[in-house]
Amino acid sequence: MTQTLDINERVLHQEARTPTAATRARTTTGVGKLQIFVVTFSIAAAIIYTLFERWNWPLFTYHPAVNHLDLFRAPGIPEDGPPMFWFGWLPATGIAAAAVAAIATAFSAQSVQRATVFFCVLAGLWPIFYALGLYVDEVATFNAAFLRSVWVSGVPALAGAIAAAYLVSAERAARLWTSWLIIMPIGGQTILGYSLSLFLVR
Amino acid sequence: MDFFFNVISAQTFWKISLFLHFIVAVALLAAITLQSALVLAPAPAPQLAGASGGGLRPLLLSPPSATLIVILYVVQALLGAWVYIKYRTYVRIPMEGLRHWWTVGAFEFKEHIITMGLAVLPAYWFFWRDPASQEHATIRKWLTVFLMISAWYGLAAGHTANDFRGVGS
Repeated sequence: MTQTLDINERVLHQEARTPTAATRARTTTGVGKLQIFVVTFSIAAAIIYTLFERWNWPLFTYHPAVNHLDLFRAPGIPEDGPPMFWFGWLPATGIAAAAVAAIATAFSAQSVQRATVFFCVLAGLWPIFYALGLYVDEVATFNAAFLRSVWVSGVPALAGAIAAAYLVSAERAARLWTSWLIIMPIGGQTILGYSLSLFLVR
Repeated sequence: MDFFFNVISAQTFWKISLFLHFIVAVALLAAITLQSALVLAPAPAPQLAGASGGGLRPLLLSPPSATLIVILYVVQALLGAWVYIKYRTYVRIPMEGLRHWWTVGAFEFKEHIITMGLAVLPAYWFFWRDPASQEHATIRKWLTVFLMISAWYGLAAGHTANDFRGVGS
């Protein structure tokens, strides 16, 4: 009797651990608005922070030496000491990511998952094509200076993102959706880390 | 601020702030490291889990623990942002003057990794609302590990900067 109960308990436990077909189906249909908001916020924040840092778009600039705050990017005069932009990137990122996440809640989970594929692939391909353009310009025997334009590298990145979003199946987009939560912060950090290499080669 | 500086010196005030930052770091690291170790370790067999009953495992793999980690992470980021003001003028300028570029770069990277940690916090909290859900077990695990790595990196970079100029250096 005890063994039977044990086995039943193990079977029940196993059932709870193994995702069933119904559970898998819920991943595409049973996504609530809160989940859409938090997942979109986290993914968007990783991408937007990377962009704001690279473009240096803070919401405000703080000058710690004189305890002064300026709206947006304001390097100030040398007498004011070093400016701090990080404090400004954070709220700018938070506001922008919250806006994107709020907009995302107006759409179905399937649309959001497909849109996430588009934006994440775009965010991944753009710097790759840009870096490739810089490399080609360096090694090419012809004048390839036009490849240094960020907009030129944007064209194949956009094409790739459209293709990915169009070709990806709804099931795969749903499965990938939460994976972007790890992929995008690591990708962002790779770009930001590479930009810091100037400190390491001095 | 003037009120504080009438009671204690500015240097003591910043040292207390930095020490508080360290204390919260220890609490955060303990919680997130144990939680990461538990999510990375294979789940115990059902009968063993039943036999052990309580212990650290159910406590750390629970929504309240995740909420506590979120609170600690945010408080720690705010404390870090606070002492960062002093770092920027009092520590980084001499650090650059002495050409400690690796330390400067490593600390700059800390800004980014902590921000990425803050970015994924809402998702981390959300997926820990139901720790029994196998549907989100993988992303729950990796978000936990990501936060742990960011917290450890923060400690390493912060400690290095402190060794340059801070408490006890």
